[in-house]
Amino acid sequence: MVASPTARGYLFATPLVVVLAAVVIIPAVYNAGLAFFKYDAMRQAWQFIGVQNFGNLVARDEFWNAVGVTLIWVAGNVSLQLVLGMSVALALNTVTSLRAFYSAVVMVPWVSSFVIVAVVFLWLYHPELGVLNDLLMRIGVVSEPIAWLASPGMAQFSLILANTWKFFPLVAITLFTGLQAIPHELVEASTIDGASRFETLRHVVFPLLAPSIATAVLLSAIWAFNAFTLSIIMTGGGPLRATEVMGLYIYKVAFDAFEFGVAAAASFVLFVVILLVTMAYLRVADPAHGVRG
Amino acid sequence: MERSSRYVQLLAHLVLAATAVFVLFPYAWMLVTSIKPIADVIAWPIRWLPSAVTLDNYAAILGDSRFLRSLINSAVVSIVVTTLSLALAVPAAYGLTRLVEHGGRPALIGILASQFFPPMVFFVPFYIILQAVGLLNTLPGLVFAYLSVTLPICTWMVATSLRDIPVEIEEAARIDGCGDFRILFEIVLPIATPGIVTAGIFAFVLSWQEYIFALLYTTTERAQTAPVLLFYLLGQHQIDYARLMAAAVLLSIPIAVPFAIIQRFYRSGMTEGGIKG
Repeated sequence: MVASPTARGYLFATPLVVVLAAVVIIPAVYNAGLAFFKYDAMRQAWQFIGVQNFGNLVARDEFWNAVGVTLIWVAGNVSLQLVLGMSVALALNTVTSLRAFYSAVVMVPWVSSFVIVAVVFLWLYHPELGVLNDLLMRIGVVSEPIAWLASPGMAQFSLILANTWKFFPLVAITLFTGLQAIPHELVEASTIDGASRFETLRHVVFPLLAPSIATAVLLSAIWAFNAFTLSIIMTGGGPLRATEVMGLYIYKVAFDAFEFGVAAAASFVLFVVILLVTMAYLRVADPAHGVRG
Repeated sequence: MERSSRYVQLLAHLVLAATAVFVLFPYAWMLVTSIKPIADVIAWPIRWLPSAVTLDNYAAILGDSRFLRSLINSAVVSIVVTTLSLALAVPAAYGLTRLVEHGGRPALIGILASQFFPPMVFFVPFYIILQAVGLLNTLPGLVFAYLSVTLPICTWMVATSLRDIPVEIEEAARIDGCGDFRILFEIVLPIATPGIVTAGIFAFVLSWQEYIFALLYTTTERAQTAPVLLFYLLGQHQIDYARLMAAAVLLSIPIAVPFAIIQRFYRSGMTEGGIKG
């Protein structure tokens, strides 16, 4: 026990850091290496090829298709989750009874396994035997079954809806925690001053909630960028690549075409994008100080 | 907003009730489908309620030796990953929060940030590494890949729970001559047990439902996990949805039970670092 506390502390962390290096840091660096270098089997040496893989990537229509699909996917998920999450958060903050029950129910999708979400929604969306079509036809919203996953636009929407089901709890609970932290006095003062409920919401509650909204939007965006399980299971990226998000495109380049260098380049681009969003998130949420309400 | 009118209360309850239906309906439909006779499942227009309750679909899926094998694989991988994650995360969280200056904050933030790394970054490197060391199609290979997901989250969660424990007892023990190890094992561990158990459950659940690495790095039944088998059941020519829903119910149980028990801890995990579900 001669060493300083800090040195001993790092000693306790050493096994973790060694394993993290093996399973996270080295693979991530290796991936970046694969993007810029090529293994020369003849000379058994890594050869620097610069941005060749990136040039190859940006020359492909499929890459730009994936960029477009991903942007629609992220924008659609974030906005739908924000609308739903905000409604639920405001409602949770308003009710005086059953709050614990409702917030437990809202958490259910978040802990659901992604594969099960995909399988169950595939069954709900089934073109002939799906309960969703049956329901909509019985209540007279549509007169004939909707092909949820068969047309490009509809498939995008159906996957965004399923992904929103899985992820809106994060937004709802983050916003609810933020609402709970707003002092009652401020809201009451505004009401006493004669402000309507809507005015209070707009001029008092929303400005104070801004950090929570930013946190929720950034987290929801990060997970949307990273998500592709629904696409790979429910549509395989189709129809006509309409649901081929970046993650699925990288998967196909790597394991259908075995172009490891190009896949590494594409995932490097995605990595940089997500790193920027993550840095923004850490700045806004400052989790080191605890973002509990 | 506490003294809202009855009208606003009603509206809020309506929003939440509608949300509850939206959230619970897929699970209800999964459950109902799993206990329907096959004739009900393929009937059109749909029979909402089963004409008879049957456990045939469960018997069929549990009678499938590939499914049982995959359940065992999933359980083994999840338990090993959970054990390793805690064994590495607990001492590190203790060392960083209690001994390192400023509670090791920069290191912890770095560890937390790595949970957001896109999994695609690891697709190719993991494949090459696992192939090089002969761990493709093996359970240890999956353990390797899963640790990249669970370690950052476990470390962060244990560190968060340690921060809530007052340091005075440890300081008193130190004055009495206790070393770091005795303090960790005899004082910190017993107090921090709830937080550590929660982190362990998170690791277990994340491993149990992991799907993409398992799909990429196992191509034979020897190491296939249950979520991957579900994926292959979907690829069959004639998809038996009743059987698939029975499998989905069975796979949900190890996730639903811990959630029901420690629901409130899930919420703090979510708001204190955007932990993935």
